[in-house]
Amino acid sequence: MSVSSISDRVLAGTRLDRDEALELYLDCSTSQLGRLAGAVRARRHPAGLVTYIIDRNVNYTNVCIARCAFCAFYRPIGASDGYVLGFESIFQKIEETIAVGGVQLLLQGGHNPDLPLDWYEDLFVQIKTRYPDFKLHALSPPEILHLSRLSQQPVSVVVERLVAAGLDSVPGGGAEILVDSVRRRLNCESKATAEEWLSVMRQVHLSGLRSTATMMYGSVENPEDRVEHLCRLRELQDETGGFTAFITWSYQPPNTELSGVEATGIEYLRTLALSRIVLDNFDNLQASWVTQGGKVGQLSLAFGANDMGSVMIEENVVRAAGAEYCMDEAEIVRNIEDAGYVPKRRNMVYDILGDPLYRQQSIPRRTKLAVARRNGDAIAPVELSRYSARSQFGKQQRQAIDKP
Amino acid sequence: MEVFVPMDEALTRALQRIEQSVSLEEQDWEALTAGSDLISVGLAADEARRRHHGDRVTFVQVVEVPLDNAEASDPIPEQAGEVRLVGRPETVSQTIKAVKALADWAGVVPVTGFALEDLLDLCGNKSEKLERLLQQLRQAGLAMVSRVAFDALGKPEPILAALRAGGMDVASLCVDSPSGATFREALLEVASWKRVGTVFRSLAPLARMDPDLPSTGYGDLRRVALARLLVDNIGSIQVDWARHGSKLSQVALTFGADDVDAVSAVASSDQGWRRSPREEILRNIAAAGLTAIRRNGGFEEVADEG
Ligand code: SF4
Repeated sequence: MSVSSISDRVLAGTRLDRDEALELYLDCSTSQLGRLAGAVRARRHPAGLVTYIIDRNVNYTNVCIARCAFCAFYRPIGASDGYVLGFESIFQKIEETIAVGGVQLLLQGGHNPDLPLDWYEDLFVQIKTRYPDFKLHALSPPEILHLSRLSQQPVSVVVERLVAAGLDSVPGGGAEILVDSVRRRLNCESKATAEEWLSVMRQVHLSGLRSTATMMYGSVENPEDRVEHLCRLRELQDETGGFTAFITWSYQPPNTELSGVEATGIEYLRTLALSRIVLDNFDNLQASWVTQGGKVGQLSLAFGANDMGSVMIEENVVRAAGAEYCMDEAEIVRNIEDAGYVPKRRNMVYDILGDPLYRQQSIPRRTKLAVARRNGDAIAPVELSRYSARSQFGKQQRQAIDKP
Repeated sequence: MEVFVPMDEALTRALQRIEQSVSLEEQDWEALTAGSDLISVGLAADEARRRHHGDRVTFVQVVEVPLDNAEASDPIPEQAGEVRLVGRPETVSQTIKAVKALADWAGVVPVTGFALEDLLDLCGNKSEKLERLLQQLRQAGLAMVSRVAFDALGKPEPILAALRAGGMDVASLCVDSPSGATFREALLEVASWKRVGTVFRSLAPLARMDPDLPSTGYGDLRRVALARLLVDNIGSIQVDWARHGSKLSQVALTFGADDVDAVSAVASSDQGWRRSPREEILRNIAAAGLTAIRRNGGFEEVADEG
């Protein structure tokens, strides 16, 4: 089929199959792809609103046994700069977030064998006791799977226990590319196969939670794999309707084992536009300004995105790979309005919470994103001694905390 | 392949008026600069660009040398297509001496340098003196003046005359005042100039960096697209790889730009993970669906060794 007739099908609202999507991705010009994505987005969001959320991206530990080849963030067990955040430190981050109008924590971390399920449960319960209205958007599918393996409990039980402790929704991290041959090459198949990632998400949705979905492109996969990834997400969304949004970002090579070069800005915009077209059952697509920078982040709005994502406040994972962009609420709003849209604050399920907050109350400008740990913070907080460790290093660390 | 997506009426009208060379009214400017339909403006600019340049994108790899340290001793970087003197000249003799020294060093690689307004300053704002200085610089080995700011030109005729008589071209006419209204006036003014395309080799429409109020992606691409649509007496619309970054510059190539300035001639040592600048620019131009053509500081195509 020609690009022109595939485009007609898109404009008529007809779903594309894998072959059609691939042909469009490979052969349609960038501007035309953007124009199609813009038309699809305008059909779904006719009011011209662009949303964003004020929340904080917190990474509770960087210790990880998964060792994904594309990850610059993780540290092996026993590394001198491996850390676990203390509960008090997390509470302080929440208070700082609430002070600037934040409504949730995006909480993710490494697969740390020395943090058992009850550590997470206690943390969530304490957060909810202190801040009952504050939301926990936490633990991507591979982290849930890791907890299932560590605790020897089925995923459904782990999810149930986390929900009982206060989990509100699940971020779509760890999807990378949902094709096992690609996952093998990225050394991330063992943390979760494509089917495992999807089945954890299915379980999450069945439990009544909503989640996001993601795609990290630009590492070792080919265009067919990207299309396959999108189609697999679309199929699960048909089944459960549990995804609120989709976010794609480019692999960030610096400081990773895999190395290589980052995909270009145009590849990002094309991939985003294709995602808008293929994911015809997703309402919301977020711009990834944290990987693309503010300018291409804003241009995402012309290529199918209807959401500027989060103000983040803090970021550690992309920064570990060398990219350091910052947009506070005022800057996000300026970019939305400059693009001809109306900015609105939202929560994780895309309820509109209101107009820009910084116009209603004084909020200090932020020109740099915060980091997980401040100088002098302990790398092993005292409460860790209450929880069992799996690794030899973790056991010794507990003993050292007990007997200072 | 044209995807038919209904366009905003006001924008359609504005783009039609540009195509028919009818002067734009206030509402046309509003449609071109404030709506959310950036892609349609970009598509029109891309078509205009393809009429002039097909799918060719030129780029130049530059090695910059500070004026106060023009006694370069290392071998010239292998990838350099231009040696550019940067800095504000203090005296005529220092300026000529620096050009001579660099021209000896650069060999066949063209030497460029200076902002024309600084040279004019050096000549006490006298265009006859400027003409003489330009001749001396040409004899010393200067292939081209690097840039001139639109704001500095005022009434351009005497300066244009000095450039022509001095046998000197300017690589980039920079319409880089940050204000939108001034940009619009500047574009219309430049578009009205006669016979300038052989003197000003490219138009650089992106704004100077303002750390307090950075320009936006939409704003930058609109400037590039409008420059392409409204100015047809200067052949090239230029973006600066170093100043505006690879991502924005690459996207600008699909919004009307056809020339990339300031690609480094040397790999940055603190970022050894990157590919060489040449590979990086070639990869970016190819990913934009365009064909890369290497040029030198004299705007001459440079054949690749294979
Ligand atoms: S991506 Fe996540 S799971 Fe993989 S190594 Fe990094 S922290 Fe661990």
